[in-house]
Amino acid sequence: MNEQEIIDITNRVFEESFEIEKERLKPEAHIFTDLGLDSLDIVDLVAALQKSFGVNIRSEEKVRNIRTLQDIYNFISAIKKEGR
Amino acid sequence: MKRVVITGAGVISPLGSGVASLMQGIASGKSAVRYMEEWAGYCGMQSHVAAPAELKDEKKIPRQSRRSMGRMSIFAAQAAEQALADSGITMSLVKPERMGCIIGSTTGSAISISRAFEIMLFQKDLSQMPSSLFFQCMSHSAAMNVAQHLGLTGYVMATSAACASSLQAIGTGYEIISSGRQDILLCGGAEELHPSVTGSFDVVFATSSKYNQSPQKTPRPFDKDRDGLVCGEGSGIVVLEEYEHALRRNANIYAEITGYNTCGSGSHISQSEDTSIVQCMSETLKSAQASPEEIDYINAHATGTIQGDKEEAAAISRIFGSAVPVSCLKGHIGHTLGASGAIELIASLIMMEKGIIYPTFNLEEVAPDCEGINHVMKPLEREINIILKNCFAFGGINASLVCRKLNT
Repeated sequence: MNEQEIIDITNRVFEESFEIEKERLKPEAHIFTDLGLDSLDIVDLVAALQKSFGVNIRSEEKVRNIRTLQDIYNFISAIKKEGR
Repeated sequence: MKRVVITGAGVISPLGSGVASLMQGIASGKSAVRYMEEWAGYCGMQSHVAAPAELKDEKKIPRQSRRSMGRMSIFAAQAAEQALADSGITMSLVKPERMGCIIGSTTGSAISISRAFEIMLFQKDLSQMPSSLFFQCMSHSAAMNVAQHLGLTGYVMATSAACASSLQAIGTGYEIISSGRQDILLCGGAEELHPSVTGSFDVVFATSSKYNQSPQKTPRPFDKDRDGLVCGEGSGIVVLEEYEHALRRNANIYAEITGYNTCGSGSHISQSEDTSIVQCMSETLKSAQASPEEIDYINAHATGTIQGDKEEAAAISRIFGSAVPVSCLKGHIGHTLGASGAIELIASLIMMEKGIIYPTFNLEEVAPDCEGINHVMKPLEREINIILKNCFAFGGINASLVCRKLNT
């Protein structure tokens, strides 16, 4: 899975699960302050990312450090590189 | 004691969105009952008919309000928006701590509860559980969702008494405003269709099952060929307001609530009986300081079951004889359960406003065991000043409410 595929799949999660328009999905967008997610949404974000990427990240401590879309791209990319 | 008036109404019903759609459907003799093909797949399910409401425009509710709403809460939020707009109340006009809502339902969203069970029992994987699913399942789901969506910070409560839920909500709202504790309460109920809901009546043989191929012929309240109830869905919300508060803002007033009672039969979990219905209506009349002769119209509960209709007719006959016109609306919209009291009260208020009583749809020949009361068989134009609304529920729960046109 290349970087662009990770971006596309992640962005699709934001469009479909959180009804956020494509134009707002910029890498530097802060998922709380810019995109309007809250703590409940993070539960659903994790579930949607797990399903979309076939990974298990529910117990990952690093999820707590995610702030921007770029953070998510990097996080998923790292996990994929680890072969998980 | 403060006086309490109704200053707004909103409805999502099987006949459409809005009070006007409901009344238009009733006036033109429409039935919203249809065949539910997908229910035929349930082994043992005898009734394959229902009165669905259309879910539409839900995306107008912001996602963060909507995510905790099941189908019934969306209906409730939309009906509450309609009721609030109809009342002309804006948040700047009210003291926030003195405006709230009381909205009842049988359970939380039946569809969401079913989904939660599927995850727990079959997938056995909590990571598949959406964060907001439980909020859709809670018994006060409709009330708390409406309160969150509209920013209500006064009383927020849910009455959960199955088919009497919304009339209990309105009655409770009436008592709270009467006591002086709140100025405005959005009150009513909501319900949604699901095979498990119809199934709960089907297992005790209370549903209509002979009309699966001619759905618009059922339910048949008080009719000799009635064979049971048909479930519907939707929401009805009324705005209850302290009388002086309404006067100060020159509000349109549908009616004043002057009497209410709710009681238990203490006798049987599923079978209503006339003695406790008589008690409920009598106590309601007493609290309204109204005599039976003063009632101009009774909007009956009358679900179309063999047993329930017979007991209600007997109870009405014992108090009112055959003097007071009686009709019910379930032939048009099915039994909207926790929403029925509010939806049918709203329709009755419009009938009072317009001076016309609509007949019981599908009542073609009064059953011998439902005789002795004044069944309305065709539209009846007359002045209506005082109405009585009945609701009864599983668990032997009865509720009755009296509304009076203002200044009568």
